[in-house]
Amino acid sequence: MTLRVLDPRLSAEGEAARLAAPLASLDGALVGLLDNAKIGTARFYDYLETMLRERYRVREVIRRRKPDSSRPVPPELLGELSAADAIVSGIGD
Amino acid sequence: METPRSPSYEVADAFEANELFQDNGWTDGLPIVPPTETLVARFLSAVGLAPDAIVGVEPVRRRRVPAEKVAIAAVMAGCRPDYLPVVLAAVRAMCEPEFGLHGVTASTGGSAPLVVVNGPVRLSLGMNATHNVLGNGSRPNATIGRALRLFILNVLGGIPGQLDRSTLGHPGKFTFCLAEDEEDSPWLPLATERGMAPGASAVTVFAVESPHQIMNEWTHEPRDIAETYAAAIRANMLTYSIWSGNYAVVVPKQHRQIFAEAGWSKKDLRECVHERARVSRREWRTVGKSAVAPRKDEDVVYTALRSPDDLLVVAAGGPAGGFAAILPPWYGRKSLAVTKGIDA
Repeated sequence: MTLRVLDPRLSAEGEAARLAAPLASLDGALVGLLDNAKIGTARFYDYLETMLRERYRVREVIRRRKPDSSRPVPPELLGELSAADAIVSGIGD
Repeated sequence: METPRSPSYEVADAFEANELFQDNGWTDGLPIVPPTETLVARFLSAVGLAPDAIVGVEPVRRRRVPAEKVAIAAVMAGCRPDYLPVVLAAVRAMCEPEFGLHGVTASTGGSAPLVVVNGPVRLSLGMNATHNVLGNGSRPNATIGRALRLFILNVLGGIPGQLDRSTLGHPGKFTFCLAEDEEDSPWLPLATERGMAPGASAVTVFAVESPHQIMNEWTHEPRDIAETYAAAIRANMLTYSIWSGNYAVVVPKQHRQIFAEAGWSKKDLRECVHERARVSRREWRTVGKSAVAPRKDEDVVYTALRSPDDLLVVAAGGPAGGFAAILPPWYGRKSLAVTKGIDA
């Protein structure tokens, strides 16, 4: 006699996340840098910001730091980044 | 029997069911009890829940946890149906925002949820609170803790190398559950201290790093014992994380007798440890962390506990031996212990 066993996994609900369409160019763009509050992120973003401004000629960089590395970004902080043409979000260490 | 909501698979026998789960990474590496439709229905019927009843919501990824998935994890882990209320209470506790389930699951820090069970349910399930209490040998202790791990693996996707980014992890990530020895303790049970009604069955869930065993068998002074606990906590603050939050200490009978004879309550012990478990930033220089010591004022004193209430004192362990254990938090106050009643 066979057994019928149940799948233990829970599927994610809702629509799958989609990548935004890439920008044609960073020239003149407004770029957001979201710091995940890990110890090395600020230094990495300092370097990245210089590169974005000097090599890719972005118009403006908005930098924001999550208050807590292990919790979601507060909505008001996301709102402050909403004007950006592109956002770099830090994950991991 | 209600129709299950989960997809199902037909397999030849229990051996092939285990092979299916092993091949798909749906277990912790140990064999499982096949979660058949019949068994899962029996477990749900024991708690009077429909398969799609929502037990809790993981707050970061907003995973709504249906009772059926918790029952599947409990069957797989080797639970009996009457263990399920304890597993459900622990899942509800872990879904509280202050527990920070996503962070503790995903972090390189590699903590595991410790479950402390209080109240009459310990006796009705035959849980262990004495010999080898942090080790093997008790079916309810082993399988209730394991059910939570399988829940994290399959329901939250806490798969090592995927969402679970632990550098090391620790053995408590297979299972980590104990009962408090209320019958042989002069003290209030942990859950009662944390606001549950006396005599109520409850779980306290706390994301901990690996337990650190200490020994002091050469004193009858309660303060000496507390000093040894505080020293182990200070060592953790320097070598692991300096940030304050909950700590747990498992106090064996031999130490409890010393505290009881001197009239020390759990509160007295908590206050003493709070006073003594402190380090200055400068001390980081003695443990190879000179590079980070000067980032802030080195004379500032850090406390392990934000207040005495942060220390979870658990009476448990075999009758002989001056061995206790300190259980450090994952990462300061980013995850806090949560106590929930068990719906019997």
